[in-house]
Amino acid sequence: MELKPCVNIRQEWDIVGARQLGREKAKELGFGTVDQARIATAISELARNIYLYAGIGKVYFEMVDHLGKKGLKIVAVDEGPGIRDLSQVMQDGYSTSGGLGAGLPGVKRLMDTFEINSEWGEGTEISAVKWVR
Amino acid sequence: MPKRVDRIVLDNSDVIIKNWLKIVSENRQNDYTSSISDELFQSTNREFVNVIFDSLASGGGLTKELESFSERLVNLGWPLSYLTDGLQTFRRVTIDFVLSQHDQIDTDFFSVILDRVDTWVDPIINKLVNEYSGSWEHTVSLQRVALQELSAPLIPVMRNITIMPLIGTIDTERAKQIMENLLTGVIKHNAEVVLIDITGVPVVDTMVAHHIIQAAEAVRLIGAKCILVGIRPEIAQTIVNLGIDLGKFPTKSSLRKGFETALELTGRTIQREKKQETIVEDIMNQLTEG
Amino acid sequence: MRIPILKLHNYLLISIQIDLDDQSAIQFQEDLLNKIYKSGATGVVIDLTSVDIIDSFIAKVLGDVVTMSDLMGAKVVLTGIQPAVAMTLIELGIHMQDVQTALDLEQGLIKLRQELEG
Ligand SMILES: Nc1ncnc2c1ncn2[C@@H]1O[C@H](COP(=O)(O)OP(=O)(O)O)[C@@H](O)[C@H]1O
Ligand SMILES: [Mg+2]
Repeated sequence: MELKPCVNIRQEWDIVGARQLGREKAKELGFGTVDQARIATAISELARNIYLYAGIGKVYFEMVDHLGKKGLKIVAVDEGPGIRDLSQVMQDGYSTSGGLGAGLPGVKRLMDTFEINSEWGEGTEISAVKWVR
Repeated sequence: MPKRVDRIVLDNSDVIIKNWLKIVSENRQNDYTSSISDELFQSTNREFVNVIFDSLASGGGLTKELESFSERLVNLGWPLSYLTDGLQTFRRVTIDFVLSQHDQIDTDFFSVILDRVDTWVDPIINKLVNEYSGSWEHTVSLQRVALQELSAPLIPVMRNITIMPLIGTIDTERAKQIMENLLTGVIKHNAEVVLIDITGVPVVDTMVAHHIIQAAEAVRLIGAKCILVGIRPEIAQTIVNLGIDLGKFPTKSSLRKGFETALELTGRTIQREKKQETIVEDIMNQLTEG
Repeated sequence: MRIPILKLHNYLLISIQIDLDDQSAIQFQEDLLNKIYKSGATGVVIDLTSVDIIDSFIAKVLGDVVTMSDLMGAKVVLTGIQPAVAMTLIELGIHMQDVQTALDLEQGLIKLRQELEG
């Protein structure tokens, strides 16, 4: 199995590390500057959520290929408290931490695909893909 | 038996070619090749029928000569129907001719003739159609790229003022492209005011309005102002009927009015030169005073 | 990492040159408010030309710092937001409607002067 580039999120600085690595991968794959910013921002949001709500977790990257289309997949996993109501956290402005509540709905808009799995008390896994245009 | 058909056809190629040329030339009246000179048309016909016969002589199918001939015509922009019609005509002329050589024909021989001619003509037509649609798809993809580049030009009309005329239908993909061009253009031209002209956008629905509003907001974030111009009556109606709030952005019905606002926003005023009457009046005044 | 804040007459000038992490952003918020308090500055320009990412957290810190400065009597203009950053913010759903913007530092200063001196 191919070893996936991965960043452990344990402290605040890891958020910056994750988005910088993500941007690098995006650049390698040939994404334009705007898409690089979209990807880096999405990673920043997901990594910060791990830091804020789960404490620790990791973000990894995967090059994906579908019918000759190339893309970058980002996966954020943690074993934190999980999310009780998925439709609630996907609403713009919903936040339990006094944040803007723009993170999750924003990531969905920034990326091309978005998938969230969460088990209350077990943890959360979010994956999202951006296709090279 | 197929051999017999081959024999008849090849031995009488002169007559068949003559018939073929006659029909193809006749058909030209109601035709697509009208922009091509007679001379070229005739010589192309002769070449065409010759490569067809070369192909038959070598046992049928697509020969190198036929391939390079059709490739050349495709590149010259001849219509595909010239080639397919020509081959269909060849099919008809040949069958007619072979039949005319026999007083009596049993059904077996008849089907052999049809079969034989089909195995000459059909593979060639298939190959040509494939080739053509291949080059057509290539053209379409080139045009798509060209359209993308053309789709959102930004025109600097004056220091600090630029115009982006939008033409055609806007979908999500294009909206992103437009926004990118708009923002990078604003930076490049150091624009303080951008006029987005939607005169050429046929339908403004909620989706299109949403994209335009997003673009205007992004323009504001990078530090410039957006004026939406070219709001036709029916667009004003849809905007209100759909409950779209354009409240925060200045809008104008025409590019001219928008441009005047842009001048004001960049600290300029329009000064008209003195009208002729007032000049005459001035002279009269001076005369009476003097 | 501390972000330097320069004073010029009544204005404070800040150019953010680093990839802002949360701690630096919050530190910056604190430093700026202190500087406004001490200097009595009436205008602030924050230049973001070198910033290539603003996520919802940084956006909130920036938005808050604008509101807080306003409470202390200093107008803030954000300048040099990059196209890619602007598009990303809009897609995140962050519009920063109450924030003044300008193309670059110079335009930002002009804007402040117009607002403050009528
Ligand atoms: N990894 C996670 N684990 C648990 N809860 C989460 C996680 N990510 C997000 N959430 C919940 O979803 C809410 C919305 O997240 P988000 O859209 O990023 O907005 P914000 O972070 O500003 O609150 C958070 O306030 C939090 O309650
Ligand atoms: Mg968040």
